[in-house]
Amino acid sequence: MKQWMTLLNKELLEMTRNFKWIWVPIVFILIAVMEPITAYYMPQIIDSLGDLPDGAVIELPVPSAEEVLVASLSQYNTLGLLVIILSSMGIIAGERKSGVAGLILVKPVSYTAFVTAKWAGAMLLLWISYFIGYFVSWYYVGILFDTIPFIDFIQSFFIYGLWLSFVLTITVFFNSFLKSPGAVGFLSFAAVIVLIVISGTFSKWFEWSPAQLLSYASTFIMSGPISSDVWAAIILSVSGIIMLLGGSIAIFRRKELA
Amino acid sequence: MELSQVNWEVIIPIVAPIILIQLILLAIAIIDLVRIEKVNGPKWVWILVILFVNIVGPILYFVIGRRND
Amino acid sequence: MSVVHVKNLKKNYQKHEVIKGIDFELMDKKCIALLGANGAGKTTTLQMLSGLMKPTNGEILFSGSREGDDFRHLIGYLPQHPVFYDWMTGREFLEYAGKLSGLSKKDSKKRTQELLELVGIEEAKNRRIGKYSGGMKQRLGIAQAIIHRPKLVILDEPVSALDPFGRREVLELMGRLKKETAILFSTHILNDAEEVCDEILFLHNGRLVESGTMEQLRDKHQQAKIDLEFKEDAARYADLFTALVKVQSHAIKRNKISFFVEDIELAKIGFLKVIAERNLPLVKFEISRTSLEEVFMKVVEK
Repeated sequence: MKQWMTLLNKELLEMTRNFKWIWVPIVFILIAVMEPITAYYMPQIIDSLGDLPDGAVIELPVPSAEEVLVASLSQYNTLGLLVIILSSMGIIAGERKSGVAGLILVKPVSYTAFVTAKWAGAMLLLWISYFIGYFVSWYYVGILFDTIPFIDFIQSFFIYGLWLSFVLTITVFFNSFLKSPGAVGFLSFAAVIVLIVISGTFSKWFEWSPAQLLSYASTFIMSGPISSDVWAAIILSVSGIIMLLGGSIAIFRRKELA
Repeated sequence: MELSQVNWEVIIPIVAPIILIQLILLAIAIIDLVRIEKVNGPKWVWILVILFVNIVGPILYFVIGRRND
Repeated sequence: MSVVHVKNLKKNYQKHEVIKGIDFELMDKKCIALLGANGAGKTTTLQMLSGLMKPTNGEILFSGSREGDDFRHLIGYLPQHPVFYDWMTGREFLEYAGKLSGLSKKDSKKRTQELLELVGIEEAKNRRIGKYSGGMKQRLGIAQAIIHRPKLVILDEPVSALDPFGRREVLELMGRLKKETAILFSTHILNDAEEVCDEILFLHNGRLVESGTMEQLRDKHQQAKIDLEFKEDAARYADLFTALVKVQSHAIKRNKISFFVEDIELAKIGFLKVIAERNLPLVKFEISRTSLEEVFMKVVEK
């Protein structure tokens, strides 16, 4: 445990020194907050473009507060995932590529502690950034549109956060056996896209897929009927994260680091 | 609607914080770029990217430009 | 006391045999040089000993631990091209390495300060490692390898990349270190090995072709040699000397003859007598020994 804290502290310090603690939260804010702002100003933006023929009227349905918040989450499902993968694709692979992993792991360092501390560091960064970003978006929706109950916000926050964590763990998994951060990023992204596309296309058969957590999070915001599959998806995501992490440790242990 | 007709008093409090954190992001990227010894690719290219590619520029710098070791 | 026992160690890359079965034992508080040309398999051997690479065959047994145990706390390792976290300071890295090796926070701090002074980078301790020179990184690398007082310190080419001054300093440092722990270091330079080492393991094409202490190797391979040089072709005088004492072999090269003899004292007196009695047109008389360098050339050619 003492060793694990040492490893985690190093991760947190590194993220301070390379400014991840600043740029990742800022990017998460920008991604989410663009949605309420553009939705709010869309009519004015179109107006100011001007060149409409006289008498032309554009009817823009004003989106509801709920719709805007859901749209914020949807932004995370593209740009947010990209940021998560890009910011964590080198956490182990980069150290193996540079060779510093060899220097650290000839010390009596537990492989389990090494991998899980890295994962925990990345998870902390993810959840804090995601909370700040999503909270700011919720706040903006509140002042520009309508207040959404905080309980709805927090429920959707945790449910969708689970999917983000799943994606992060996929990246850690590829980190455990690939030496090139670029390859880790590419494969993680490919895996996530495949998961999203399959779960979306065959949604009837994939109600429990972690990729469906976005739509479940949305139903919490829209106060729609809550599917009983939510729990299946939550349990599957949590066990998926644990299994991926366990697999990462098992593979990493067998890898030759030289 | 003319630009003068835009209700700035309403817009500024809403948009200003967003612009501010964008500027923070940009400033940090520039500060880091100046202090760091080596980046992937020439530094001056990264200065241009950070300054002129809105939001995405600084992110690209942190993800690709910065050496991860 | 034995620190580690290596038995029939083998390593294959794909189908290519890089290490073809080597055996050796390392003793406590001795410095052993792993000598060999580039590509002989030195780095591979050291990486297997450090646990970074798994042997295809054979075993590495540290005293006090059983087969398959984690022995990483017993060793300190410095790779050939050490890489650190550039964003850390030297002090931070050493403290981190110490804590990872099981030292308490307090001990780690104390030991860090000690080592910074020992390896001579005290004044740079709060500078980021990214700004260190090659020699400073090498010294930091040695410091992190010994921070937990390991039983065996493995250094891969610790002086090859250094300038003469840095080389001298690191070799002296190693001389001091061997009072506390066993050192195994690889090099392709015999002089470095001779300077601090008690024993040499000579690796060639993945095999240990020779090993032993310096004295053993000298006794075994070195021969006393008398070189004579004449004003004219030397071939005609050769028989005069070979008849005289027990000469193992001789080589004639125009005006010069080299005699390899068993008893140098006897040969010296006999040779000089013959030369004086016959008044041979001698230009040069030289007694020498084959150098270790020559010995190794011979071993490699075998």
